[in-house]
Amino acid sequence: MDFISFLGDNLATFWTYTAFANITLGHVLMILVGLTFIYLAIAKEFEPMLLIPIGFGILIGNIPFKDAGLQLGIYEEGSVLNILYQGVTSGWYPPLIFLGIGAMTDFSALISNPKLMMIGAAAQFGIFGAYVLALAIGFEPNQAGAIGIIGGADGPTAIFLSSKLAPNLMGAIAISAYSYMALVPVIQPPIMRLLTSKKERVIRMKPPRVVSQTEKILFPIFGLLLTCFLVPSGLPLLGMLFFGNLLKESGVTRRLAETARGPLIDTITILLGVTVGASTQATQFLTWDSIKIFGLGALSFIIATTAGILFVKLFNLFLKKDNRINPLIGNSGVSAVPDSARISQVVGLEYDPTNYLLMHAMGPNVAGVIGSAVAAGILLGFLG
Amino acid sequence: MMKQKIKLGLLFLLIIVCNVQAQRTTALRINEVLVINEDNFVDDYGKRFPWVEIYNSSPGTVNIAGCFLTDDINNPKKYMVPKGDVLTRIRPRQHALFWADNIPTRGTFHLNFELNPKKPNFIALFDSDGTSLIDSVTVPAGQRADISYGLIEDGWNQERLNEALRLNENYKNKYGDQLWIYWEKVTPSSNNKILDTNEKIENFKINDGVGIGMTMTAMGVVFAGLIILYLIFKSIGNIAVSLSHQRVMKASGVTKEQARNITDQSGDVYAAIAIAIYEATELHDEENTILTIKNTARNYSPWNSKIYTLREIPKR
Repeated sequence: MDFISFLGDNLATFWTYTAFANITLGHVLMILVGLTFIYLAIAKEFEPMLLIPIGFGILIGNIPFKDAGLQLGIYEEGSVLNILYQGVTSGWYPPLIFLGIGAMTDFSALISNPKLMMIGAAAQFGIFGAYVLALAIGFEPNQAGAIGIIGGADGPTAIFLSSKLAPNLMGAIAISAYSYMALVPVIQPPIMRLLTSKKERVIRMKPPRVVSQTEKILFPIFGLLLTCFLVPSGLPLLGMLFFGNLLKESGVTRRLAETARGPLIDTITILLGVTVGASTQATQFLTWDSIKIFGLGALSFIIATTAGILFVKLFNLFLKKDNRINPLIGNSGVSAVPDSARISQVVGLEYDPTNYLLMHAMGPNVAGVIGSAVAAGILLGFLG
Repeated sequence: MMKQKIKLGLLFLLIIVCNVQAQRTTALRINEVLVINEDNFVDDYGKRFPWVEIYNSSPGTVNIAGCFLTDDINNPKKYMVPKGDVLTRIRPRQHALFWADNIPTRGTFHLNFELNPKKPNFIALFDSDGTSLIDSVTVPAGQRADISYGLIEDGWNQERLNEALRLNENYKNKYGDQLWIYWEKVTPSSNNKILDTNEKIENFKINDGVGIGMTMTAMGVVFAGLIILYLIFKSIGNIAVSLSHQRVMKASGVTKEQARNITDQSGDVYAAIAIAIYEATELHDEENTILTIKNTARNYSPWNSKIYTLREIPKR
């Protein structure tokens, strides 16, 4: 009898440790969110490289457990997940991702037609539009700055800035940024159609000229010196972005460039995605602030896309007829490389099956990366 | 030649190492001093003595071991901070506290001199060479009990204070214009000025509650940065195109206009030309790819030669 009750007690204790005994409605909701991310990634192929790690991370982070000091959760100091999460909280994953992005980005389209940089700058209105709105609904200026960066459509930048300005909101900001980046094919096309006429959608742009290797080498050097002299607080992101690009374009560091754009960025993407996903523990994540952040994130993407397109239309008023820009590439000023450029191409082909806008859209797209990193630097400098 | 290069390399390395070392120890500042300790901080032995706080103003850890603290300018090596104690490594923007109790046998942080409340107290920190003065302060006579004499902001010097006064008109009204002030809120091993709020954020809330100022400024900077980058690459592009024209003119002997027509072609035109050349010169004729078992018309062919199918006998 004693033996039976001994076993019974042990089983009862074991039960209190299981997830079944500790689950709450919040956990169920978050698990459903994680499953939705995984579904979107696999069935719809929306940013699978991001949504699969994040979605699975959400599942990992929302397995409920008894807080018995077993060092399991991501917020428990010294746990494995917590150690991996240090790269996010200390902000060193994003610069490494930028190194890889630099090593895989071809800036030729931008160099051959540098005026496209202006579109990348205009799209940053999304960041500051969201900043103004966040202030209006009661967020502190530093929190508003961290939320606004969602409009930069750049996950690593959003994580980097929010880890510095509003660490308590980082999980919601990162998830919001990555979610809307994945939803770019849903958000942007209606705005593009709404703001452009049929005539504008079929504008054919001059093919880009061939860019010499010297120009490609000079770009990261001048880019770094100029942007970082102007905004030194953008150094971690811009420094690594341009460094990665020099590795690619120098032609003599092929192995380093291949590592940066291959195994290194893949490793960091996995760690970043899983830990950001796991940081959305229901107890920490399900708050009104998170819901507000999701709303503001959507608005910031809409503002950024609108600003990019309207800016091109305005810009065209000052350009010669044969130099005009197709406003369908205005949306690609929001970073989300290369998805937003691909949207320009797809929507453009709907109206003229022989008008290929992809190369042209890559210009503002990569300018958007630079622009959002500069904007992040400014916000950090002002509010950090 | 090789030796010279090595020497130059070593010299360069030495300069860097020395410079780094110098930069690090010079980041130390005498930050706060309490001369009369009646009801204040106690040391590890439970005793109250005057103390001197040193602050590391750099973003890297600095080891104060080997440096000298003194109350006599003519005897700069009066107290050497002992080497080999891990606690002498001061972390970035952190503090170390020395007890002016004249009992150095009590440990690394106990000085071999005291502070005299009846007269001005000169305190200096010298580098490990014993001659380079890092920082010094003269604490005026007539100190009150349990009120410290410290820098207005951790690690500041006169230059930094002047800058703050120049940039912020309200600074003088709020905090005064003296580098060293009396602190009723004594802060041993902690920051002199404890902030209850983030001043930057508060300023934004007061002066730019809507966020228009931030938007205008930040967008201005983003546009300025990218416009300058545009102008630079517009110029570089023009130079590159011009050089390309010159190369074509030199190589083909054509006029500038013709050269422009050749070089201004886009990448897809070059791709089409390359494919055409490849097809014209590199591709084989279309071949009959039908397999057959018919005998060849020729009497001899390596394919049916028995000699080729036999294994050769190894030669000795």
